[in-house]
Amino acid sequence: MLKIDNLQVAVGDNKVLNGLTLEVPTGEVHAIMGPNGSGKSTLAHVLAGRPGYTVTAGSVTLDGKDLLALEPEERAHEGVFLGFQYPVEIPGVNNVYLLKAALNAARKHRGLPEVDAFEFLTLVREKMKLMKMDESFLSRGVNEGFSGGEKKRNEILQMLVLEPKLAVLDETDSGLDIDALKVVANGVNTLRSPDRSVVLVTHYQRLLDYVVPDHVHVLVRGKIARSGDRTLALELEKRGYDWVLEEAA
Amino acid sequence: MSAALATRIAEDFAAATPAANELQRQRAMQALTKSGLPTSRDENWKYVNLRPLEKVRFAPPPGEGKITVTVADLPATVARSRYTFVDGVFAPALSAPTTNEGVSVISMKASTPRAASVSPDLPADLRFALLNEAFATDGAQIEVAPGAHCETCVELVFGATTEAKAGASYPRVSFKVGAGARIGLIERHVSIGSDANFINCAVDVEVARDSSVQHFRVQQTGARAIWFDTLTARLAENARYQVHTVNLGGLSARSTMHVQLTGERSEEGLFNVSVGGKNQVHDTFALVEHIAPNARTEQGFRGISGGRARVAFNGKIIVRKSAHGTDSRQSLRGLLAGTDAEIDVRPQLEIYTDDVRCNHGATAGKLDDNMLFYLLSRGLDRETALRLLKWAFLEDVVAKIDVPELRRQIEQSLASQLNETAALKELL
Repeated sequence: MLKIDNLQVAVGDNKVLNGLTLEVPTGEVHAIMGPNGSGKSTLAHVLAGRPGYTVTAGSVTLDGKDLLALEPEERAHEGVFLGFQYPVEIPGVNNVYLLKAALNAARKHRGLPEVDAFEFLTLVREKMKLMKMDESFLSRGVNEGFSGGEKKRNEILQMLVLEPKLAVLDETDSGLDIDALKVVANGVNTLRSPDRSVVLVTHYQRLLDYVVPDHVHVLVRGKIARSGDRTLALELEKRGYDWVLEEAA
Repeated sequence: MSAALATRIAEDFAAATPAANELQRQRAMQALTKSGLPTSRDENWKYVNLRPLEKVRFAPPPGEGKITVTVADLPATVARSRYTFVDGVFAPALSAPTTNEGVSVISMKASTPRAASVSPDLPADLRFALLNEAFATDGAQIEVAPGAHCETCVELVFGATTEAKAGASYPRVSFKVGAGARIGLIERHVSIGSDANFINCAVDVEVARDSSVQHFRVQQTGARAIWFDTLTARLAENARYQVHTVNLGGLSARSTMHVQLTGERSEEGLFNVSVGGKNQVHDTFALVEHIAPNARTEQGFRGISGGRARVAFNGKIIVRKSAHGTDSRQSLRGLLAGTDAEIDVRPQLEIYTDDVRCNHGATAGKLDDNMLFYLLSRGLDRETALRLLKWAFLEDVVAKIDVPELRRQIEQSLASQLNETAALKELL
């Protein structure tokens, strides 16, 4: 279970999260919504350990383990996966190499031997089929020259191969057309299981039609202003964020 | 050049055994005495370390190299035929010549008449070639007949064995390619043993019309070696010349290249990868001169400097008044991989005509934080991630080496050099 308690985060002199408290029990999908600048992406980045954020107070634990004390790669080893809002292009490193290196890093942490080359390819091909990705993706540079939709699919592919304990998806739905959105949602749903948690950071409720969350939280000025079930997302869709902002004020 | 250095060069020259090509050597020596060697005050020479010259004995070592060299000391052969030179002198026992139709490779010692010499009024930046001309006693003379086809054909290995105090090594190549020929040449420079060698290499390439040449140069001399290199090339009409240089070794390595596009629609590709660590200095000055119209140049450089190393690339393109329709592209990128390292990337363009397309891009900097975080977030450990990003940084230029076995060897050397470039943690 992911447990965030009174988390306060600053970027430079700017306070972005102001005492955020949230619990995501194992097996559940929680959606984090909120207006622009409310701290959604900051939360996602801080969970994954991106440099440039100062945690001034509070704690984050995953199954009791203090995540904030870990380096980004150690968090990945503990089962944290961040799906990037803007996946990075890395020309010269091919996708299949990265997937394999990432999978082997996780296996090494669990004391398992390196993955067998044949098993690995079988696994990746199966997941690629699910994500409706062409085989040629494998030999291309990481996200190099990918369209926005391809990049997001690639994020989900990596997630499916790595099978994280906690997936934090930062606006994975942004910039997707309806068909791509369905593919991505299908990928996320495949990962849903009693022993995983998913945090979906999103601006719109559209994604939540396809990935139905157990809980919806609204982030306002760096704090959870309101929580509810999926009907909260529908209400936000209809009424916008203003009423939550007013209530919070 | 200091008076003391000039005197020593002259003394060493006087003491050297006269060779068959004595007149030519004398002329080179006279030209050298007149012009002197470059100093760090000369433009285009400020990065190179010229101090080692003060301790060199310029004459080649007397007799054979002092240590016995075996085939096992040399890199594995890639091309069809191999010719090995020890301290600049052909070593038949270490060579594996085979007959390739239309391709003649002979030792300059045995050649009559000897290959044409470097012009004594050559540009100032090429003066180290005069030093080679004055002292070299042997070299490889390659002639490719018109229309001959021989890909990955000839491999030259120049091994240096002698301590600089005892003698210098002068690799020398004359490479003439006939019209319509296609050929690949591999040229390697290594040290055998751990002495501080002084190596001064001169290569001259003549590419006749409609021919296509792939020239691969790998500099892997020892950690204490001083390597100077001068390459000149001329391209005739429709000729294509691609020269790939991989600079890994040496304490100090300086390469000066001057390519002249004298034929219309000729095509030059000049690709350079340089990885320096510890206290290495790698400095390349690459000049491409567009003389004929409608010719093309592509220059690519990827350099990584770690430890306390200094890696410099000065890529210059001159477009003469006669060279309308020139198309040139430069992509020069340097990566700083240590807080005490230095990287200098300098694109230069001099254009004397209209109607040209000259693009250039040059960057020098550190690794991208976003790329690093992306890899870390996928669970790769920091060291692996950094190594991978450096690898990726070099890859697009390394990938142009389209001889698979050579590329594999180079990639292996690059990988171990990157591991040794240490200071990985200093990076960010």
